[in-house]
Amino acid sequence: MEQKRRWKPWLYCVPAMLLILIVIVFPIAYTGWISLTNMNLYHWTDYEVIGLSNYARALFKFDSGFLSALGTTLVWTALNMVIQIGLGFLIALGLNAPGLRLKRVYKTLLMVPWAVPAYISILLWRVGMFNTELGILNKLLVLLGFGKVDFLASNGIAFLSCMVLNLWMALPFMISTIDGALQSVDSSLYESATLDGAGFWTRTRSITVPTIRPIIAPAAVMTTFITFKQFDIIYLLTQQRGYMTGATLNTVITYAHQNAFASNNYGLSSAVSMLLFVIIILFSILTNRSLRED
Amino acid sequence: MTKKQKNAVRLTLLNVGFILLCLVTLVPVLYALSISVSGQGAALSGDLSFLPKNPTLENYWAILVDKPFLMWLKNSLLLSAGTIALSMLCAVPMAYAASRWRFAGRRGMLRVLLVLNAFPQVLSMFALFRVLRLTGTLNTHGGLVMIYAGSMCVFAIWNMKGYFDTIPREIEEASKIDGANDFQMILRIVLPLARPAIIVTCVMVLITVWNEYLFATTFLLDSQSYSLAGGLYQLQSNDYSRNWSVFTAASMLASLPLLLIFFKIQKYMVSGLTAGGVKA
Amino acid sequence: MKKITALLLAAALCLGALAGCSQPASQGSTAPSSEPTQGADSPNTPKDPVTVTIWHDGDEGIMQTIADQVNAQLTDDQITVVFEKKTDMPNQLKLYGSDAANAPDMYFYAHDVLGTFVAMDILAPLSDVVDTSILADHLAMTVEAGQIGGTQYLLPVYFETLVFLYNTALWDGDIPGTTEELYDYMVAHTDVAAGTYAVVNQHTNAYNVSPFINGFGGYVIDENGKPGLNDPKTIEAAEYNQKFGALQADGDYNTVTTLFNEGKAAAIIGGPWLVSGIEAAGIDYGIASLSDIKLPNGNGLAPFSGIQGAGVLKVALAEKKDAIAKVLTAMAAPEVGVDLANKSGCAPANNKSYDDPQVAGNEMIAVIQKTASTARPMPNIPEMNAMWGPAEAMLTAINKNGADPAQAAEEAQATAEQAIADMK
Repeated sequence: MEQKRRWKPWLYCVPAMLLILIVIVFPIAYTGWISLTNMNLYHWTDYEVIGLSNYARALFKFDSGFLSALGTTLVWTALNMVIQIGLGFLIALGLNAPGLRLKRVYKTLLMVPWAVPAYISILLWRVGMFNTELGILNKLLVLLGFGKVDFLASNGIAFLSCMVLNLWMALPFMISTIDGALQSVDSSLYESATLDGAGFWTRTRSITVPTIRPIIAPAAVMTTFITFKQFDIIYLLTQQRGYMTGATLNTVITYAHQNAFASNNYGLSSAVSMLLFVIIILFSILTNRSLRED
Repeated sequence: MTKKQKNAVRLTLLNVGFILLCLVTLVPVLYALSISVSGQGAALSGDLSFLPKNPTLENYWAILVDKPFLMWLKNSLLLSAGTIALSMLCAVPMAYAASRWRFAGRRGMLRVLLVLNAFPQVLSMFALFRVLRLTGTLNTHGGLVMIYAGSMCVFAIWNMKGYFDTIPREIEEASKIDGANDFQMILRIVLPLARPAIIVTCVMVLITVWNEYLFATTFLLDSQSYSLAGGLYQLQSNDYSRNWSVFTAASMLASLPLLLIFFKIQKYMVSGLTAGGVKA
Repeated sequence: MKKITALLLAAALCLGALAGCSQPASQGSTAPSSEPTQGADSPNTPKDPVTVTIWHDGDEGIMQTIADQVNAQLTDDQITVVFEKKTDMPNQLKLYGSDAANAPDMYFYAHDVLGTFVAMDILAPLSDVVDTSILADHLAMTVEAGQIGGTQYLLPVYFETLVFLYNTALWDGDIPGTTEELYDYMVAHTDVAAGTYAVVNQHTNAYNVSPFINGFGGYVIDENGKPGLNDPKTIEAAEYNQKFGALQADGDYNTVTTLFNEGKAAAIIGGPWLVSGIEAAGIDYGIASLSDIKLPNGNGLAPFSGIQGAGVLKVALAEKKDAIAKVLTAMAAPEVGVDLANKSGCAPANNKSYDDPQVAGNEMIAVIQKTASTARPMPNIPEMNAMWGPAEAMLTAINKNGADPAQAAEEAQATAEQAIADMK
């Protein structure tokens, strides 16, 4: 029995482990192996192990360009998360205001962006909203008598445009998470606080926030990862070939993509991927730590 | 002003705020909708009017008849169902084990999973190609299901483990006394209790599969077997074949199923996403 | 214990069932599918039907025209070609090119990716399959574009260049004979705020700016793989293109084609691939050759030419060599070119196709043929692949962000050189 107890939990883990081994661990290991070879256009099938020289070359990719991409990524992640949680919280608070009869309608409407496939959302915004000729935003500006604005042309405004789109796509998830969390707050706590003369904002600060914080933490951590790894928005909005907009905005992932994958040198790009992986691990350890101290 | 009046003013303001917010949120969607019911060349001519001059359903007709839209829809549903089944079959037992038993290596394992999940999949396309080739599942929906399920597995484990943690053990003890074995107990007691978490996890898996286009167009070789996102990607990715109004019609049709599902499960989403919040 | 086994079994079953219910996808829809079988060895034995699969990423109408022609010629041989559209075909071939189970038998694409495929060693030289005398009647430019290191890998079928397409209802007067006159016309007839334009072009796309770059004597990359983005002449061209770009709206494909198709732009610099959309929009258009518009240095605008054709994958030879030889021979026939010219306005690579009076009288083809005299075939070396990105980045920086052309060129040149160095 004691014996059985010891391996039983692991048995429960076998199917998941198997799947993760095949789909996640193997690709990482394989990438690691390819990074030691000279697999490139000229050695597509007849590649051989050449040791660590790809890493020596890959390190040069982590230069000032990479540092600025890393900076952009951190700002991007932080800003997006702060706004997402802040805005999500405010909207969810509003949705939960007593007496709001149309809550279900509002909520459903606010969830719509979530249902649109991400790729389509991005294209829709690129052409339908941001475009100088076809975009609604510019039509509106012209109608109001202003000049046209190229929303994706330079880094600053492109960053904002990407962020607006990211918020549009990500807020529904955050709103519904926080909305759910709000409903789990024990209403008797509010009642006694109201009796003690606490106003709305005092109650929010001293009861609501502390109660829902642990509840939304997992969702927040997950979203942070997704935001950090975000590739599609920036890539498809500003740097797809034939559609470069002039912004030279890069996150670490788009930077790696641009610098290592354009050359079809799989050995080299694998080394870059592995180094990037190490950096992301470090980043996630840091996030974990700061979360726990919070 | 009485308290009642004050309240009414507050609610009115709130309602106005929400109506504006919803409108702003829906602008891109309304725009797409208006283009999708316009004839050729509506992208420019409409001067910011959301009402097309000559509404037509020809674009929807074109999508449903000329393009294998229904086939893609079927494929998307198939892929989603398969991915949900496989990822849940794998994730539920592990999440349960990680939640219920304190065994050596448990914490480390969970941590490692999270770290592994951080490897950006955009960068592992070639390796995944190898996996599929080795397992002989290139160009099959099965292979794609495996990849999707594998990439969602870690999230599913973490999400459900969090929820299982909140289900009091005493409930299980009681059923054990009734003679149920572990398997029956998970099936009959734990899963129904964890229904919100399971539904939410499934929805997240569903959204991922529904959205994914890169693997779908790379690992499947026949456009007939593409998923909706893959098919739509192919539909507009090429300069030769792009048709904006048909594409918007297809986008609307592709979003509709998810919207219906969201609407249906809204009340479960609420408690499911808030794992720790359920009072034990 | 039992339940765990059961659970595992269930998972395995589920996976198996899923794999089972999605057998390798059926053949594409362009032709009835049939089992790929060994090509017949002897002409005396009855032949088994053979399907030759060709991947492409182009216009499906054009591919259908080729398929119909080739299949009609090969009915007696029981050979069927099937064109399958693959999004981002070159990248797909990088993955599947050496995978005998899933690779196509042939591919159809422009010649600029040829070097990449040859470097990867996934293509068979045409001479391994068929007697290259089938190319005897082909235009020399198209034949040469299909060669790497003197070996013929691509069977040229048709070629294209950028042309000057104008809306006859909107264009005022004659098409200017010089770029300076063109510019003056643009200044007079463009109202950015109102969204009406004289001429639109994808002015940040290296392919669409090539008429200027080549016309100035600059180059994107030379035959030895040396990037020429910071060549003084290339910089001069980019600088000159800038003032045109400022009057050409956002230079992305969607924007410029929509502007033209909706009558908001009087002219567009584009290729024959735009014609079907223009006709569908009901626009009455005229065509002019870019080589008739002279740059200040006296040269005509000199666009890149793209040669579209078919290559053979090595892995296909083992089973289908004979069938592929017949397909190549059929594809090289002048009739294919005639059909392509008449149905899709493609300029045939086979000189004999021009004997057909209808082809000879085709306006689009006449213009493309004329432009071909100044056009420069796109480089087909593998390094070309790494050039589009940096070249576009350079033009974008100059046209959209007002970057100093010389500095933008230096940066783009460095990026390109790095990318090329990274290839080895």
